[in-house]
This record gives sequence, C-alpha cells and structure tokens, in this order.
Amino acid sequence: MKNGWNGKVLRVNLSTRTCAIEDLNMAWAREYLGGRGLGSKYLTEEVAPETDPLSPDNKLILVTGPLTGTYGAANGRYMAVTKSPLTGTIASSNSGGYFPNELKFAGFDLVIIEGKADRPVYLKIHNQRAEVADATHLWGKSTNETEDMILREFHADAKVACIGPAGEKLVRFACIVNDKHRAAGRSGVGAVMGSKYLKAVAVRGTGGVGVADAPAFREAARETFRMLRSHPVTAEGLPALGTAVLMNVINQSGALPTRNFQSGTFEGAEEISGERLAQTYLKRNKGCMGCVIGCGRVTALSDPRWSGNGEGPEYETLWALGAACGIADLAAITKANYLCNEYGMDTITAGSTVACAMELYQQGLVTEAETGIPLTFGSGEALVRMFELIGTGEGFGARLGLGSWGLAESYGVPELSMTVKKLEFPAYDGRGIQGMALEYATSNRGACHVRGYMVSPEILGVPEKLDPQVTEGKAGWTKAFQDFTAVVDSAGICLFTTFAIGAPQVTNLLNTATGLNLSQDQVLAAGERVWNLERVFNLKAGISPSQDTLPPRLLQEPLPDGPMKGEVAKLGAMLPDYYRVRGWDEGGVPTAEKLATLGLV
Amino acid sequence: MIRVQFFGLLRLLLRKESVELPSEPGDTVGRVLERAEKTLTGPIIHKLAAGGVLNAGTIILVNRRNVLHLQGLETPVNDGDTVALFPPGAGG
Ligand code: SF4
Repeated sequence: MKNGWNGKVLRVNLSTRTCAIEDLNMAWAREYLGGRGLGSKYLTEEVAPETDPLSPDNKLILVTGPLTGTYGAANGRYMAVTKSPLTGTIASSNSGGYFPNELKFAGFDLVIIEGKADRPVYLKIHNQRAEVADATHLWGKSTNETEDMILREFHADAKVACIGPAGEKLVRFACIVNDKHRAAGRSGVGAVMGSKYLKAVAVRGTGGVGVADAPAFREAARETFRMLRSHPVTAEGLPALGTAVLMNVINQSGALPTRNFQSGTFEGAEEISGERLAQTYLKRNKGCMGCVIGCGRVTALSDPRWSGNGEGPEYETLWALGAACGIADLAAITKANYLCNEYGMDTITAGSTVACAMELYQQGLVTEAETGIPLTFGSGEALVRMFELIGTGEGFGARLGLGSWGLAESYGVPELSMTVKKLEFPAYDGRGIQGMALEYATSNRGACHVRGYMVSPEILGVPEKLDPQVTEGKAGWTKAFQDFTAVVDSAGICLFTTFAIGAPQVTNLLNTATGLNLSQDQVLAAGERVWNLERVFNLKAGISPSQDTLPPRLLQEPLPDGPMKGEVAKLGAMLPDYYRVRGWDEGGVPTAEKLATLGLV
Repeated sequence: MIRVQFFGLLRLLLRKESVELPSEPGDTVGRVLERAEKTLTGPIIHKLAAGGVLNAGTIILVNRRNVLHLQGLETPVNDGDTVALFPPGAGG
C-alpha cells in the first residue's frame, strides 16, 4: 500500500504459539489513524473492560502510526496499548528510537499479542515472517544484555523492544525498553509483557513506507523541518539542554513537587538541573530515527561511588529521583536512572513510589527493619538501594513494586500516594498550574503530563502565555490540548514537534501521507473520538467519574513556600466546565448525542 | 543591587550563573537587560526578545513572578530584586 499504512496486522497467539497476518481494518484506520487511536480501537473491540490486566485475556498491542517510518521529522514513534496493571485504565505508552520504524519497514502497522506462553519466549519478525522463539536463556537478563544477545543470535541489524527483570517480576510500573535507551514508560505495560512470558519483540524490516502524494508529502515534511530548525525550543533549547532545562524554570515558578509534594520548591534544584548535567556527565545529545531535535542525553557517570554510561536522565527522571525524594545528588540520580533502564521500569513511578515510602518512613510507618537502610528524604544511597530491591523483587522491593498507591494503601494511608487513578504525577504541581491540575484529574490514564501539556501555555508561554492561577477558560484549553495530543499520538510523530508545529502542519502531513482529505476540524475530531473511546472503556472498567479528582494534599494543603505559596488546586472551579465543553453530562458521562456525533455508537 | 540570573542556553553561552548590577532610579526589566549586556559584552537580549517584544517561550521572572503577567519589559525593578532570565526551552 502507498498511503502511510502498510495495511497489515500481525496477530500472535502465545498460548498456541501461532502467528497470523491479517488485513488492517481500513475503516478503523481512517477514523482512528494509528498509534494510540487505532490501538485503542482494537483493544476496546477485543478486550473486555473488566479483564484482569495480568491475565491471558488481556492483550498487548504494539502499534505505529501512518507517519511512522515516513520521510519526515521525528516520525518514529509507536504505542504500546493494553489494559494497565497499575491503574486498571486503558493504557497507551509511547516510545521512539528505531524499533517503531523497523516494524513499519517489516510491513506491519500493528502487532497484537494475545494469550500467554507456558515458558519464556520472544517474538522474531523478519519482514513478513514471524516466529515465537524460546527465551529461557534471556529470562532474568537486563534490557541491555537481552538486546545484545538477540542481536547476536537473530540478526545484527534487528531492532529490539524488551522487558528487564522488573517486567518479569510483574513490577506494576515495568516498562518496555527499545533500542536500549528508549522506553514505553508509563502504566506498567512491561508487566503485561512479563505476565505473558514474552521477553522481547525483535524485528528486522527492509521495506519502505509509501505515501499517497509523495511530492506534496515531501513539501509538508520540509515545512516541518524548517519550523523545527527555526523555533528556539526545538532548534536550540532541547538539543543543548534536553528536557532538563525545565528544572530551574519549574522550581522558580513554585511548581516543583518536592518531598512527595510536601512543598513546591526544592533548595537543591540547581544541583540536579539540565544546566548542571551539561557541565558534568553529559557527553552529547542524541535523537530518535530521523529526528532533527535530538533531545536524548548520552551520559557517562564518574563518581567515587558509582560509574557507568547510558542515556538520561531527562527532566521527569531528574525530578522523580531528585526533588520528589529531596535528593540533590546528581550521581545517585544518574545511577538510579541507569538501573531503571536495565531493570526496565518507569522512572516517574519508581521515583515517586520511593518518595512515598520516604514519607511513610518519616511518619514512622515504615521502619529500617523493613528497608534495611534509613529511608530518609535526601538519601541518594537509599534511592539506589531501593531500586535494586524493586528490580530484583527482593524484600521491601516487592512492596515498592506495587507502585505508590499499592504501597500506601497497604499501610492504611492511600492519601499519601500522589496519584490520580493510581498513576503517579509527573514533575509539575497542579497547585501552581491550575490547568495542569484539571488535566491530571481528567486524563484517561491517570496523572499524566503528556495527554495535554498545559505547562506549555501556563508556564512556558507557548503558544501563548496564560496565567497559571486563573481557572476561567482552562477547561477549553485543556480539552483542546488533550484532543490535539491524541491526534499527534495517533499519527506516529513525536509530541515535542508540537512546540514548533501545530494542527495545520499535522493535518497536512496526515493528508499527504494517507490520501485522506481531512479538514483540520476533522483531524481534531479524530482526537476527540480517541479521547471519548478511552473514557467509555474506563467507565465500563469501573473507573467512575468520582475518580476525576486529585489527592487531598493538592486540594486542601496550600503550597507552603515559593511564589505560589498559599495556593491549592481549584479543581471544583474547573471540572463542571470541563464536562460541559466535552459535551458530557453533569456526572462526567459522555452523552449519547456526543458519542453519536463522534461515530462511537 | 539587582541580581540577574542566567539559565539554560544563556548560562552556557555566558558561562556565568548570575551577575550583580547597581540599581538605578526608574529601572525596568528592559533597562536592566541592556546594562547586563553591556557589562558582560555577551548577547543577551536577542536570545530573549526581538523589537521590544519577548520571544515566544522566553521566561523572565522578577522575584519569581513572570513579567508577562506584570508589565513585560517595562516591569519596574527595584534595589534588591532578582531578575531570572530563561531563553525558550521546554520539555515534558
Ligand atoms: S524530540 Fe526527542 S523524543 Fe522526540 S523524536 Fe526527537 S529525540 Fe526522540
């Protein structure tokens, strides 16, 4: 096919060890594009909402977008779509690198993995041939070792997505690591892989990706390149400093959650900032395939206590392993980041869970007898030790492996878990950024920043500056950001491009690649369709609108310091408005008319 | 004195975290930037603004308040104030 999509689905049943090739449902592709949208459509059609996420009945869908693998900027993304074992919500976790393109070059748009193997296996894909192979010898290996071994025994040019020991141990926030340093991080998609005894997916593809109107697509891609190369964020800021440039910005704005959200400024922010990283362990920047931005950080750690090299830490990681735990020790954070990559676990939830444990320790609920080390805020050694325990599932690590909600609940204090719908917050305090508070409360996978990055207008002033403490109008902004992000996530391009390009460019790329003739409104409606599809699945899964809320700490405890001192999250002032602009009823349920308009009934 | 802090690319370019400047009557953010640029003989203003208007994504905080919610480059700056300069940068 020559329209972005390959038109092929690989269906793998691990219980029977069979692989089958099916035609892509083109009607769905036109309505949901690809990536998060198309993956969610397949999942909601094939997996009952009440399914136990770690049972063989759950499925794992690895899905690219129509722009994945095309000639263009930052067009190398895929999504891992499944039902999350951390939250029970629908999950879609995004990653870049080289693996997503390779899947397209092999001739597939998506891979649906179902059932459960009776012993460790991995999936080998070589163009249109697929095979379930034994992986007993890979079980227990780190993500690095796993990839190296597969490259040696399967194909030197293959691209590999795999789980580490954390996924095998069903750590609820295990991720899927591809190309060694890129991760489908959030929501525990790696644990679903582990529950199926699937250690890795290795793919070698030698085809190309055709587009409907090649000259027009090339022109659209050139325009994107031009915009990315001339915007100060994508041309200068992200390449030089990565995402970590945000540490000082967010801290000075008073919205850097510190010590499990006990305050909004961190006295050690400078020590763990992107500027400091650039002066210490940073070697160079690095991009995913075809990316002109190159936000990745290639680092080498040299410290009397630890050494090593790898990629990261990026901003969220510096925060979760740093400020959230009160840790200003950049070496410990970098070491702990490497451990997350090797064990295969989400840095945000891992760090936040240790932060929660540190507060339990502060309150005397967790003792040194359990942890084997004083779990004090600020201790880099404790962080590294806890990550080793989580990755290996030993001792207190098994409890930490449940995530902060499971941990805090087991001590009778779930309110100390800084989560929405059991997913840990990222690095922005909603008390200091009201639109972000609304986005967290309403995101379909829980407290997530990459579903509608309101930080951009409220703090960074892109595309325009909004006052972070004003609540009026935030519902409309949040919805617009959420719907547009769903389009980007479904197209197969990197969200970071959207600091420089907008809906007109994305529409143009999609139309010239797919041959669809969608208006910008129709493209945004596709995003809204995806959002509502996810919402309906969650409601049927028993996640009621009462969970569109925030922890009591954010709603009731004012920020104690910084420029946002005295502020709480004013969710009540925004949520009814949000339901209204979404076209949902007052209780937060999509109305029949809304679903009909979107073609969802 | 007025403390001017440099972040992000500015810090990498100027190789300086901050500079202290004597305050002058009638100081504004714009005037402080001009004096900082003269003192350091480094390019500061064009990383932040063009034609008197802040670039999209530039953040300037006076005592941790964004000047876009005050009076932009005309925001008054007093003795003892801290002006933090962030050229456009982002993440997620
Ligand atoms: S901006 Fe960063 S994450 Fe996005 S494609 Fe480029 S290198 Fe990958």
